[in-house]
Amino acid sequence: MQPELELEDVQGLVARGYRTLPAGCFTLFGVEDPAAGDTLEGLIPRIPNAGPFTGDVALHLALTASGLRRLGLPAPIMEGFAAEFTEGMTAPHRSRFLGDTGDTDPRSWLWGGPASPRCDGMVLLYARDATLLNAQQDLLCQALRAGGLTVLAELRTLPFTDTEPFGFRDGISQPVIEGLSKAAAAARTVPAGEFVLGYPNAYGLLTDRPLLPSSADPDRLLPRDHRRDGLADLGRGGSYLVLRQLEQDVAAFHRYVKDAAGPAGPDLLAARLIGRWPSGAPLVKTPDDDPRLRDDNEFGYHRADPYGLACPIGAHIRRANPRDSLDPDPGTAKSLEINDRHRLLRRGRPYDTDGATGLYFLCLSGNLARQYEFVQHTWVNDPAFNGLSDATDPLVGPRGPGGTTFTVQARPARERHLGLPAFVRVRGGAYFFLPGIRALRYLARLPRTRGASGGHRTRARR
Amino acid sequence: MPHQIAVTIRAPIDEGRADELRKRLVEVGRAGMAGAPFRFDRLPGVHFARFFVLPEQQDLTGAVIPAGLVYLGEVDAPLGRHLANLLDVAGEGVDEVFGYCTGYPGTGASRTTRLRWLRAHSMPADAFYVNTIGRGQAQIRAEATLRAAIEEFLDGQHEDLSDRTPLQIRQEIRAYVNDTPELAWALHPPPRPALSWRAKEALHRFGVPALLLPALPALIVAAPVWAVLLRLHELRDEPDTERPAPEQLQELAELEDLAAQNPFTAVGLVKPGPLRGLTIRLVLSAIDYAVRHHYGHADLAGVKTIHFARWVSMDDRRRVLFASDYDGSLESYMDDFIDKVAWGLNAVFGNGVGYPRTRWLLFGGARDEQAFKYYLRRHQIPTAAWYSAYESLTARNIERNALIRAGLNGEMSPAEAERWLRML
Ligand code: HEM
Repeated sequence: MQPELELEDVQGLVARGYRTLPAGCFTLFGVEDPAAGDTLEGLIPRIPNAGPFTGDVALHLALTASGLRRLGLPAPIMEGFAAEFTEGMTAPHRSRFLGDTGDTDPRSWLWGGPASPRCDGMVLLYARDATLLNAQQDLLCQALRAGGLTVLAELRTLPFTDTEPFGFRDGISQPVIEGLSKAAAAARTVPAGEFVLGYPNAYGLLTDRPLLPSSADPDRLLPRDHRRDGLADLGRGGSYLVLRQLEQDVAAFHRYVKDAAGPAGPDLLAARLIGRWPSGAPLVKTPDDDPRLRDDNEFGYHRADPYGLACPIGAHIRRANPRDSLDPDPGTAKSLEINDRHRLLRRGRPYDTDGATGLYFLCLSGNLARQYEFVQHTWVNDPAFNGLSDATDPLVGPRGPGGTTFTVQARPARERHLGLPAFVRVRGGAYFFLPGIRALRYLARLPRTRGASGGHRTRARR
Repeated sequence: MPHQIAVTIRAPIDEGRADELRKRLVEVGRAGMAGAPFRFDRLPGVHFARFFVLPEQQDLTGAVIPAGLVYLGEVDAPLGRHLANLLDVAGEGVDEVFGYCTGYPGTGASRTTRLRWLRAHSMPADAFYVNTIGRGQAQIRAEATLRAAIEEFLDGQHEDLSDRTPLQIRQEIRAYVNDTPELAWALHPPPRPALSWRAKEALHRFGVPALLLPALPALIVAAPVWAVLLRLHELRDEPDTERPAPEQLQELAELEDLAAQNPFTAVGLVKPGPLRGLTIRLVLSAIDYAVRHHYGHADLAGVKTIHFARWVSMDDRRRVLFASDYDGSLESYMDDFIDKVAWGLNAVFGNGVGYPRTRWLLFGGARDEQAFKYYLRRHQIPTAAWYSAYESLTARNIERNALIRAGLNGEMSPAEAERWLRML
């Protein structure tokens, strides 16, 4: 029997992207002294859980590996987290893996890189309108500064509309998590454990997470894992959160499609790079921008368009989620099942500050290696994705010295666009952990109870 | 074109020098084996090659297996040519690194002496998978050039294409290839491996089943006994639950994801007892037969991203080495294993100490996703220096390039021509 998802213990960001709260700001902070624990604990009552939500303001709290260490989580317990998380997004081999090299090297980042101050965590604040947000944001920063934390950056988002800066509707296709209210109506769902630790994942297993000896949690703040001798489960209800600041060169994008389009026209080429029309209508379903299909997400590729004649094989959405088009048996349930082990729950928002425009790309993963990093490396960045050559993602993939190639499959023969320049540049990023609400309380109290919990060794796995 | 062979040379390292050698290999690897002192760029017929240090390890009785230097090459036959090239072309590097090994005759010794030493330290693979048997390195590179040239030609024609039929376009491409002296070779199909070799393989293909046939009744009787005994073993086995250490992960990751392909090298101890010894022998023989006669065409039981893979029993069959060259990241490779060929992985590695628990040899095991990934990582050996003759080509690219070339020859129907043009 599947354990029921405990909605009260999961931060509401897992369940929703707060479309009803268009104003948003992500505050990066550093943990300076033990008082920080109390300050963070003071924020917990303001965090909506994954149950029904109707408020005017929402706040969420995520911590980086350094933040957890600064709060006093002992090294052996840290080892229970995913290695990708504890190592961090900017370890040199990881930068190579994620394509963060050359002019997107973390050394050039605005935040999160080796040259920037250490980022220990982030408060995500959402509000009904800008006035409310500004008032709340001021109070928040005051509280943080007064309470043992430094404010490193306030990443303000644009008032949320569902259109990203290149002019395309975003946030249409999302995995639906079992156990959330939306799941009832969905044709296809993924197990909660794909995004929420402590629940069975797509393999029916519990993804690794830190488990503590019961004695490390004398106040019994944490849930117990009954399969594992009643160990205290610090991971349960939590998820890994990926944040990347992706600057978009909107002018370059429109200039490029205008110059390169030829007789078919810039709108079609732009839509082909994405795989959807500006309204959101998927190319695989319609050869023109048909607004009636703007929310359409009921499609596969293999049967409708095996050769990419309607939606190019290399289009952003066909790479970031190939659906039923992958080996070994494209078009089958098995292909979809394999694909579903690599889904991302996207929660990003666009920004426009100091003349720079872009997307705060934000996604949640239960398993960073198999989900976010896999999608970024194996689908988005791979020049040989699905049989292509020299072709990274036309929208967001890294560029070699000569740009990248985008092929529009066509009859009688394909058309190639060579030397696509970069339209998107990574300017910052970090891996966070978005703890369950009980785990958050445990972590916030660590600076006080430290010493009592230090020094336990646990190498427990599941 | 020649068939492909797995070259394995292994020699014990002089007492106390393994670490120094490992560091030196990493240095050489970082600079690239195409350059000095190895100059693999000048070695004909090499697809991939690697040097690594197999660290000292205790077997299950506590006996120490000393550290060794291992060279692996995936090369075009014949072996003699490759060994000679190792000395004549890559000699500076080969002498240097084997110079760390006990008894290497060294630069002072004659070429014949050194050659004899290399031969004496070579060992056979129990099984060797080749993505496409008979496709030589030169052919792979030439066909990549061919494809690039045809693509460029098509780019130049694009404005005029819309009103032509696929057959007409194909005809123009053929004319272009024919008129370009550097490409005209492509109009002839590639030569096949030597007749004598093909005859030998055919004999093996039909001979093995013919020999086994009389034993069939006995095997049918023995199989259930074997299965039950194996199941009892499985229930007693102890899976390893340790996670790989962060430092180990980092050391491995630093050597990975530099090209379209990655090398994978791992070694593990075989579980104790005659039953496991017998099982792994049987499984490796079955793999040997399968990869020679069934999986030699760009597809290893559903996985199309492996260029080469080999299994080598060593140290009196106490250990098995597995080495491969695969496309993409280790994460995607492991996911392929779990999602597509878990049974195959279980059949071999299930006989390795610490592997996640299997059921009836083929079930369970790799399906325990994270335990399986940890097992592989924990048994992985850093591939200190690695060479790829075609760094940007995936197996799928190579296969497509070969099909493009093959499609230049012979007659085609309109539908065939359309299908062929889709590969461009
Ligand atoms: C500035 C950068 C980016 C822009 C402008 C952008 C834009 C878009 C747009 C317009 C869509 C279609 C809307 C939808 O299907 O929901 C989309 C879908 C998607 N994007 Fe991006 N994206 C960006 C970066 C990324 C990155 C870096 C990744 C992953 C590493 C990614 C993964 C996805 C995924 C998984 C989908 C859903 C595809 C599907 O399920 O069909 N995106 N993106």
